[in-house]
Amino acid sequence: MTDYAVRITRLNYTYPDGTKALEGIDLDVRSGEQVAIVGPSGAGKSTLLLHLNGILPGSAAVRIKGQSMDSADLRQIRKQVGLLFQDPNDQLFCPTVFEDVAFGPLNLGVPAAEIPRRVEKALLDSGLDYAIRSRSSHHLSLGERRRVSLAAVLVMEPEILGMDEPTSNLDPRNRRHLIEVVSGLKATLIIATHDLELVLDVCPRTVLMDHGKIWADGETRAMLADARLMDLHGLEVPLSLKSGTRP
Amino acid sequence: MHIPDGFLSNPMAISLNVVSAANVLYAARRTKIDLSGRMVPMMGMLAAFVFAAQMLNFPVLGGTSGHLIGGSLLSILLGPLAGSLAMTTVIVAQALFLQDGGLIALGANIFNISIVTCMSGYAIFRLLGRNAGGGKRLFLAGFLAGWFSTVISAAFCALELGLSGAIPLRIGLMTMVGYHAAVGILEGMLTAGVLNFLRKVRPDLLALEGVGKFRIPDWIGAVLFVAIPAAVLVMAGSSTLPDPLEKLLETSPLPPELGSGNIPERLASTLRLEEYLFRAAIFIVLIGLGFLAVRLTRRRRSRS
Amino acid sequence: MRHSFIDRYASLDSPLHVLEARSKLLAFTALIVGVLCIPAERGSLFFIYFFAAAILMGVSQIPLTYIVGRTFLILPFIVLAGLAAPWKGGYLGLGILFIRAVLCLFLLVLLTNTTRFVELLRGLRRLGCPQILVMNLGFLYRYLFVLTEEAMRMKQARDCRRVGRARFREELKILSSMIGTLLIRSFERAERMHSAMLSRAYAGDFPVVSPRKFSLRDAAFLAGVALFITLSFWIR
Repeated sequence: MTDYAVRITRLNYTYPDGTKALEGIDLDVRSGEQVAIVGPSGAGKSTLLLHLNGILPGSAAVRIKGQSMDSADLRQIRKQVGLLFQDPNDQLFCPTVFEDVAFGPLNLGVPAAEIPRRVEKALLDSGLDYAIRSRSSHHLSLGERRRVSLAAVLVMEPEILGMDEPTSNLDPRNRRHLIEVVSGLKATLIIATHDLELVLDVCPRTVLMDHGKIWADGETRAMLADARLMDLHGLEVPLSLKSGTRP
Repeated sequence: MHIPDGFLSNPMAISLNVVSAANVLYAARRTKIDLSGRMVPMMGMLAAFVFAAQMLNFPVLGGTSGHLIGGSLLSILLGPLAGSLAMTTVIVAQALFLQDGGLIALGANIFNISIVTCMSGYAIFRLLGRNAGGGKRLFLAGFLAGWFSTVISAAFCALELGLSGAIPLRIGLMTMVGYHAAVGILEGMLTAGVLNFLRKVRPDLLALEGVGKFRIPDWIGAVLFVAIPAAVLVMAGSSTLPDPLEKLLETSPLPPELGSGNIPERLASTLRLEEYLFRAAIFIVLIGLGFLAVRLTRRRRSRS
Repeated sequence: MRHSFIDRYASLDSPLHVLEARSKLLAFTALIVGVLCIPAERGSLFFIYFFAAAILMGVSQIPLTYIVGRTFLILPFIVLAGLAAPWKGGYLGLGILFIRAVLCLFLLVLLTNTTRFVELLRGLRRLGCPQILVMNLGFLYRYLFVLTEEAMRMKQARDCRRVGRARFREELKILSSMIGTLLIRSFERAERMHSAMLSRAYAGDFPVVSPRKFSLRDAAFLAGVALFITLSFWIR
């Protein structure tokens, strides 16, 4: 019996104003897998991620670790599924870094004595110094804010981690660092991104989305090297594959 | 206008602090119950928005510039309870960040700029705008809400200062109400303009307020919000406090021998009549607001 | 652009800065109330309070020019009050009014400039301020910066596209759409923020972080202020 972290079956979603965002999505992700979701803008990647922890209602079409979304305790789900959003500014809303990172565990009922230790671990895991905890997020650089956002999610020790464009707007060094951190994570990863080099580095499996549907689901290198497929869906074969510099 | 400390008499300041505190506590409780947490980030963000928007200046009359106040806009979008909470946040922030408005006078400033503006702006808009369907009607309702809320806020401010004895009633009303009647035009036009913009670009945002419905307790609440301050203002302005209380609290900003209300002897009797007339007028306006609130609640109930 | 107008002097290191927010809130509020309770007949008390305020100002290490410069905030009201002065020969009264207002203002400036805003919020919460108000203030503080930057960028974009001054109606329309756009972005940001909060198990209540303790220094400060106020009103 395979251990599935996420099972999505014929998921449909329409926005309140009528636009169809997702049509008949079928996706199974095993525990420990690293899956990338690629596709042009507006494909529905972010919308799909929002179904993973119940922000958008998926009801019975979405199962997390066997639990169907309509009968699940959302608090439990959000403990198991962490979601990293694209804009760090939207995720850092507390006066200090410490409070931002502590927000999740406090909501989960983690005892107050435990909190500093978990915050410290999460910050270190994200490549930050514990000293940053008393600073305010508006004084931090974008790279630092990204890492703090990651820490704020990692601190909840999720088994499944969804990420929306984790490397966008990062300079090369910060980007490289984030990729290192993400590569070292034990959780099941589902990463929606335009950064195809990141996909090649981190995710053995890729799912291609366009216009709310899944068009391809398979081994990363083969898919991303398929020039016709890439072109058809508004993407490009990544440079490292084209020029053969990737081993 | 944000009143600094030292210009209000102690009874006035205390009573306004009590009224504002009651409003904040009540609104806090109601928004929490009704809106299951979704409104909270909204209120905070919109409070930041108002603060930021106030920095967008609009050149008026050559040298000076004006800006949006935002009370009526907030209450039209979020409803009077959430809107006044957001506006209160702005006023507290202004006092703490910029020392704009005093600490003991905070209650008065909250009452004038948050409560009065939000309640009256909302009431007018709902009465005139109804479903806020048509463009012209929306614009007019928004304009009147903005203008009227500004003027009545200034009137309260002048009244409080006058009854405290710091600034003569006549002068206060003339200058403050006069100035804000002009400033209110800008407020009205900006409020209407923004609502119009929203109608074209994001009409769903105009329907947000339906989330926090007015219910039966709000009938009572709306009247109380208005009638209590009225009674309190009238009482605080008068010198008919019980003896020990009076001994303890009665501290007009000005020395008693300089006369109450700074008017020399020969005008004293005239002022008295004026004073009572003004008090009566305000009382009537307040009761009227209360009725407005009740009527619009009834209307909403029959609609839903 | 930094939060220069908020926390400019709050990170200094004077004896006043080190005190806990609650003790400062209580002490300064008590002092302001004290000033407001000085009856006009006992004008000498004003000098005593002024003296105390001057000591606090000196201790705080905040530039005097800054504190005194804030006086402009009360000027409009003084002017209005002064308009009646000629009729009653109340220049004395006007002077007293001015001193009261200025004293209270200085005390408020001291309170807010010796305390980091974050600490101030914590102090308010622990003194019983409704949580929703404190959270709103926190969000305002956090997002003011972000929204102000957006507002400034829009202003720049507008200025770049302008040639001369447009008619009143045009200006109004432009300003309305700028404010409207800022409003829409604020809403959308609030929605995204709410999603982020939900993702971290937010359920409507706000967690309280472990508080800083009340120290002997704070108790001493409060006691000192209380003593000062009591004595000032008892001694003839």
